[in-house]
Amino acid sequence: MVVYLLKRLILAVPTLLIASFFIFSLVHLAPGDPIRGMLGQYQDPELIAQLRKAMGLDLPFHVQYARWLGKIVRGDLGISITVKRGAPVAELIAQRFSVTLELATFSLIIALLIAIPTGIISALRQNRLSDHVSRLIALAGVSIPNFFLGILLILLVGVYLRQPWGAGGYVPISRGLGKNLAHMFLPAVALGTAYSAIIMRMMRSAMLDAMSQDFVRTARAMGIAPWDIVRRDIVKNALIPVITVIGNSIGYLLGGSIVTETVFRLPGVGNLVIMGVFRRDFPVIQAVVLIIVVIRIFINLAVDLTYGMLDPRIRYGGTS
Amino acid sequence: MAREIQTGEYELGAHRTLLQEFWRNFRRNKLSLIGGVIVLFYGFLAIFAPLLAPYDPIEQFDAPPGMRNPMPPLSRDEDGRLFLLGTDKFGRDILSRAIYGTRTLLEVAVGSIAVAMLIGVTMGAIAGYKAGTWIDEVLMRAVDIMLSFPSLVLAIALVGAFGIGKIKLGPITLSNIVKIMLVIAITYSPRFARVMRAVVLQEMAKDYVSAAKISGASSARILLKEIFPNTIPPIIVQASLMMATTVLTTSSLSFLGLGLQPPRPSLGLMLNEARDYLFWGAWWYVVVPGGLITLAILGFNLLGDGLRDALDPRQARRRR
Repeated sequence: MVVYLLKRLILAVPTLLIASFFIFSLVHLAPGDPIRGMLGQYQDPELIAQLRKAMGLDLPFHVQYARWLGKIVRGDLGISITVKRGAPVAELIAQRFSVTLELATFSLIIALLIAIPTGIISALRQNRLSDHVSRLIALAGVSIPNFFLGILLILLVGVYLRQPWGAGGYVPISRGLGKNLAHMFLPAVALGTAYSAIIMRMMRSAMLDAMSQDFVRTARAMGIAPWDIVRRDIVKNALIPVITVIGNSIGYLLGGSIVTETVFRLPGVGNLVIMGVFRRDFPVIQAVVLIIVVIRIFINLAVDLTYGMLDPRIRYGGTS
Repeated sequence: MAREIQTGEYELGAHRTLLQEFWRNFRRNKLSLIGGVIVLFYGFLAIFAPLLAPYDPIEQFDAPPGMRNPMPPLSRDEDGRLFLLGTDKFGRDILSRAIYGTRTLLEVAVGSIAVAMLIGVTMGAIAGYKAGTWIDEVLMRAVDIMLSFPSLVLAIALVGAFGIGKIKLGPITLSNIVKIMLVIAITYSPRFARVMRAVVLQEMAKDYVSAAKISGASSARILLKEIFPNTIPPIIVQASLMMATTVLTTSSLSFLGLGLQPPRPSLGLMLNEARDYLFWGAWWYVVVPGGLITLAILGFNLLGDGLRDALDPRQARRRR
């Protein structure tokens, strides 16, 4: 297991390197000069040359990349140009990271709480009314954009029902956990709905697959209680593909949080990257995108590792 | 399983073309028919937008005395002009803007899918034909890296690199809408490349390709004349499933202010503007554009699922 883990970690390194190179070159080959953008009206050629030198922009491309990467490994994500001039990007992200993390975690919990039970019930009552209803809701759930759902929720809860927690905005935990969670609830629902629908569909079809397997028939023939079969054999087997989908779709949650933060005016990392794009703050864009990709790669790794816990047939570190 | 026994469906001697076969399978699923109707409706809206829209989408009308823009549905201005679905913050007719916004959304979605297909299919075909060589390795590595980005995050990063609005790439100036198409095409081309590579590999193993090779056909001829026609159905399925995602990404970008720019009518942008009028209770400003985006995504989802099931009935039966 440990050997396997190490092997996977080492294999992730080239992917991360290429991804970081891609992000770096994306922004550096871009049209437009960040320095000129930064100076606004004061386009003094001498000043431009000075700044270029100070920021290392006069060096060859590969040297710039090597320097950038070296700094990142040491935790230095660069200096913000326009979002908050002169502030270390790492600090800007650190201030906001907890908001995004809370939103994503809360959404994940809501999505799972809805998806897993509905998926199970839907499969057990295949083609009955409750199955049709939950499948229709799931279909609507994957089709409604999270920003539209978010705005509808604000309209309903914040405007019509006049609830202060339904109007968007962020309350830090220091002002009370209850208030903080209440303000996070609608954003989490808006973000979690589509995710939940994806997971529910997978749960249902994985359950149906598992139910038609021979071991279920054998268990029935042996006279094991129906609910025990569902719990021990069907659900446990069905969870394996479901976990893959949860992991693969985590990118949706990361991308969607950018949109949800905008809808509910939450001061998270997504909000930061949008400001970065508007103000052409390249260090900010690079850093946030890199962090999101790193998180995604590590979550996929974690998902692979959980297979072993659910399915004893999968053994790691073998000769394969 | 009574469903799998087909009785009386095949008359002896009756010859069906592939298209008829496909239509029979497609027709069987009511939901995919509904999806087809929805998609046709959108096509109709987009094509006949100038005839259907009652007003110019950027013409501004003054609210009558005692009223303010945005005006609710069924309002009239002083000259008696009717605004069926109300007006927006500048006094523009929501219905007309929604119709033209739908047109723009479909233009961007169809355009970017076409470009994504072109890039992805070419990459995938080369990788598949040269499977196992360094060309394949490089291409698929690039695809893997791009897929490690959540798609919305990649699109945002690309907009960040290019800049908002129209851009100059050396001597060429790209209009904003073409730039957005490119951004989304780059984001989604890897998925086409994956599908295409898999299909080409599958076809290459078949006898007709060996026969063509033995008879001395050139690589280009085998790829274009022999393999390519067989790759069209799976690519079409992929394209129709991707349409839903593309509509979502396009309108998300516009909602964030990174996509289509005012005064061009855009559904995503309308939702963004509407946020400032939520507490006026301007529900029509939200529901009309949001509903149109949702229905479009739903339609493409249903149609895509139906096409997939109709072209691969055996898989479909398992899914049901």
